[in-house]
Amino acid sequence: MVLVDLAASKAMGSAAVLLFLTVLMLAAAKRMSTSIVAFALQSAVLAAQVLAVAHIHRSTESYVIGGLVILIKVLGIPYALFRLVDKLQAPRDVKLSLSPVYSVFITAGLIFLSFTAVHTYVQELRVSEDVLAAAVALILSGAFLMVSHGKALMQIIALLVLENGIFLAALITTFGMPMIIEIGVFFDLIMGVLLMGVFAFRIRDTFEHLDVSKLRRLRG
Amino acid sequence: MTTAAANVLQYLLLVLGAPLLRALIARVKAVIQRRQGTNLWRPYADLLKLFRKEDLVPPDSSPLFRFAPMMLAASTFVAAALVPTVNQSALLAFAGDFIVLVYVLALGRFFMGLGALDGSSSFAGMGASREAMISALAEAPLLLGLIAVAILAGQGNIVEIVRWTLSQNFFDVSAVHAVAFAALAMVAIAETGRMPVDNPTTHLELTMIHEAMVLEYSGPSLALIEWAQAVKLTVVLSLLIGLFAPWGMAANLTLAGLALGLGAYLLKLVVLAIVIAVLESSIAKLRMYMVPEFLGIATALGALAVVFTALLRR
Repeated sequence: MVLVDLAASKAMGSAAVLLFLTVLMLAAAKRMSTSIVAFALQSAVLAAQVLAVAHIHRSTESYVIGGLVILIKVLGIPYALFRLVDKLQAPRDVKLSLSPVYSVFITAGLIFLSFTAVHTYVQELRVSEDVLAAAVALILSGAFLMVSHGKALMQIIALLVLENGIFLAALITTFGMPMIIEIGVFFDLIMGVLLMGVFAFRIRDTFEHLDVSKLRRLRG
Repeated sequence: MTTAAANVLQYLLLVLGAPLLRALIARVKAVIQRRQGTNLWRPYADLLKLFRKEDLVPPDSSPLFRFAPMMLAASTFVAAALVPTVNQSALLAFAGDFIVLVYVLALGRFFMGLGALDGSSSFAGMGASREAMISALAEAPLLLGLIAVAILAGQGNIVEIVRWTLSQNFFDVSAVHAVAFAALAMVAIAETGRMPVDNPTTHLELTMIHEAMVLEYSGPSLALIEWAQAVKLTVVLSLLIGLFAPWGMAANLTLAGLALGLGAYLLKLVVLAIVIAVLESSIAKLRMYMVPEFLGIATALGALAVVFTALLRR
């Protein structure tokens, strides 16, 4: 039990490190399946953080939310994405618009940027610098993934990464939002993924590819 | 006195036990592929047989051809003396020895490349140039990763870094450690010629790197190369274990402490061997032109680790 307490108290800081690694993994990934696995890992780290907060503050609501994160983000959405990749029968590469080396370098730069960005707020908020920086880094790298990848499916993942960042920021600044808001956010997320999945099918059927960069020609 | 004896023993364990680790990886791979696999002691029999055979030298080669494997073996064995395994000290330990480790390994590669070129076989020359490219690209991330860990620990000595890591809390994973580990693990794969970079079991001329270099070698020279290669793999893995997961390493020289250290070390090596075997069985080799990209990512991670040491200093 003592060990669990210790692990929970350290989980916040250590988990931030793992989040950085998943962000870098997403930036370097060359296949859809790798990206989906990286997203699932990221969500698992997030779930561990929620459970750690729940353990420290002894709140049942946070346990429920942690369970929901595992159910939806670690298992549900990755499974849905894998099925989507399977059904779309699209090529498996992610269509990176620049070399993975540059992508990793830029993501590293974004991580530094987030560290410098949160530096002034850390003292006021009394939270660990690592975790807040990880939240900002997730948001920034989600946005970067969105512009650097040309595949509709990768943009879904990028949006989910961005959402993970916002979720983490909310978690560490408020130590757990009210249940009803969290459930609303999750519902939103499922609807979003569902809609984007349908959309990906429509794009594929109309244009016979999933390359978003080619959609520009549709301008009237 | 007893420390010195323990150091000599752990050194001998590393150098003499290294072929066994290679055999273990091959065995696990065989099990995954549903093959029977070879005996775990087979590498030793191979080495003995090779040492007793005649050393055939290409007619056009110079004395360098025979000299290169000796240099490779000598430099690798020196590198092995720098790494603590069971005990919290090493046979050779001095300030800045992690840099020596990097360049002693590079020295062996350099001479191996020269020897391969000297054999005047076109395949060996091709292998040498590929190996030179990979080692040039792998040097930066290897040094950066090691420097990041050294800055974090505030020590320039591998043994001191290991001691510092041991004194840290298990749950206090630092961002530097995580990123440096990722960089060094990628380099370790490239340095030891394992799967996504080089296939140690291939003899297909288009893809082989290390195997192409040693094509012309036979007899005792080949035995030295094979042995050095096995020791190098063990050294690199032991370095990873020592820097990132040294828990269980013997602090004091009691019999119980040493036994625990030995058990923990062997367990970690076996786990790493299984991980390598599973990885090698599940992924395909990278195309030659993708290797710079792979090592470029490692370099980016290494640079990130070094900058993190400045960011996270409190």
